Amino acid sequence: MTAATTETPISALLIDDEPQILRLLTITLEANGYRVATAASGQEGIAAAAQRRHDIIILDLGLPDLNGIAVLKQLREWTQTPVIILTVQDEEADKIEALDSGADDFITKPFNTGELLARLRASLRRADRGRAEEPVFRAGNLAVDFSRRRVTRVGQPVKLTATEYALLRLFIQHAGKVLTHRHILREIWGPEHEQHTQYLRVYVTRLREKLEADPASPALLLTEPGVGYRFVEA
Amino acid sequence: MSGTMAPRHEKSALNAGTGAQRILAPQGICWGHYEVAFGAFVAVSLLNLWLQKWIGYQAIALVYLLAIVLLALFVGRGPILFSAALTAIGWSFLFDPPPYSFHIAGSYDKMMLVTYFVVALTVGQLTTRLRAQREAEIKAKLLLESERLGRTLLNSVSHEFRTPIATIIGAAEGLRATAGLSAVQENLATEIESAGARLNRVVQNLLSASRLQSGQVQPNPDWCDVADLLGTALRDVENLTAGHPIEVRKGPDLPLVKLDFVLMQQALGNLLTNAAVHTPPGTPIEVGARIEGPDLVLEVSDRGPGLPADQLERIFDLFHRAPTAKPGGTGLGLAIVKGFIEAQGGRVLAANRPGGGALFAIRMPAADAPDLPEETL
Repeated sequence: MTAATTETPISALLIDDEPQILRLLTITLEANGYRVATAASGQEGIAAAAQRRHDIIILDLGLPDLNGIAVLKQLREWTQTPVIILTVQDEEADKIEALDSGADDFITKPFNTGELLARLRASLRRADRGRAEEPVFRAGNLAVDFSRRRVTRVGQPVKLTATEYALLRLFIQHAGKVLTHRHILREIWGPEHEQHTQYLRVYVTRLREKLEADPASPALLLTEPGVGYRFVEA
Repeated sequence: MSGTMAPRHEKSALNAGTGAQRILAPQGICWGHYEVAFGAFVAVSLLNLWLQKWIGYQAIALVYLLAIVLLALFVGRGPILFSAALTAIGWSFLFDPPPYSFHIAGSYDKMMLVTYFVVALTVGQLTTRLRAQREAEIKAKLLLESERLGRTLLNSVSHEFRTPIATIIGAAEGLRATAGLSAVQENLATEIESAGARLNRVVQNLLSASRLQSGQVQPNPDWCDVADLLGTALRDVENLTAGHPIEVRKGPDLPLVKLDFVLMQQALGNLLTNAAVHTPPGTPIEVGARIEGPDLVLEVSDRGPGLPADQLERIFDLFHRAPTAKPGGTGLGLAIVKGFIEAQGGRVLAANRPGGGALFAIRMPAADAPDLPEETL
């Protein structure tokens, strides 16, 4: 674990009813330079979020008093602070609902702390960047120049159709974040095509063939089973 | 089990023979009840012989009737029929004048005997039927209650396991990532982490089995890229299969197939884990996907010791473990594969490969290809 390099510590609010998970996360995050506040219930969490500004919120979906989704919806009424959902396996529908209700990302228990820290960093970076779009995006061998609509891989130009380009741009705008199938379909093909997952499957395969070094084991455009896709920056 | 799941699950390994059928099955003839009926007849007859000093022979029949109704609260229909006949004969022999003969004088008494027999039989039968219904209801309720309790228990136990498991894995992984650990400390942290991961797989399998058994697995089929499915399943278990070279053979032009991605991924993951655990390190695991007629065929095969020929049918049964299997394992993994696949209308089969090793095949109906948008550069 490496200490965060930021001068003022990043403040994280943890909302989880399991004291053991709260302790583990507190130890892990504090060791990585975060300042941590905890809340053991939904109501307490909402109050803590209102009391002081936090840079990021980690929210467990299975809370005793309020459903995690309800907490998320209440938070989203007045704050855009990134929210990362903690959930368990087999609850794809909950993950999708949380993402569509404004969660920035989710992580499944039992989680890898390294992965959790990477997700936190990605969400913080996105929040930091805000809506300002940089003209050129780079990830590994891939470079996308939005001002000239030019995509290159290992310096070689890559030809994309209009839809492929729009899809890639959507992924890059939300780099690091999971986009649900429904969200992508609505953005690229329109609300009337929300159910047409087949479009998405075909275009993701094509994008991978054009952009990935090994399309069979993608490194940029990852599948989140049953939920959607995640475009990874590094 | 509810809704559309029920028919598919009839043959599922996880749902074979629910407790309800076993408990509510008709019981054999209980001879003890005939003895009780006979004893009651003797006792009531003695009582009536004593009572006849005060009441007439017609009222005696009512005492017998009362005895039949009371008896019906405890014994089945056969003994009631037996008692009705016995008391009718007893009444006509002992009490109907002339006493100690089967002769019945008046037409009034003849009618009374017939009516007595019919009423005794009907009341007795109705009482036993009501009682049987009530018992069945209680049993069904008890069964439902115990199934619900079992599910709740399993769910809460699994939840109670998940939090400490998440803590163990997270803490061990955090420890391992700490700078300045000695090699021994780092190895020990790795051991804790992999033990936690194993415990997590067991809990996950228990949960999946309980979800299957209670009919909570509702497939959510959607168009899937088969190559993506294989890649995701392989990546998910790569820590476990690390000691085996993996060869993927994909047929040309695999179409999009309507499947539940998550269930398929878990089924494939279980087959891959199974292959990795039951074969010597270094032996290859082959993964195949192809279209065969109307079906998508997914195969996981190994070069391990293979399967005993007489176990091929039963290997997918819940808690079944091949006698030759290595110690460890719960007998849940393959049953879950079968449950997840059959819930989606597919089939699984196990076979031995020519040249040695086991082969597991999943066959899924590959519906017509979907409509796709046309676009050119």
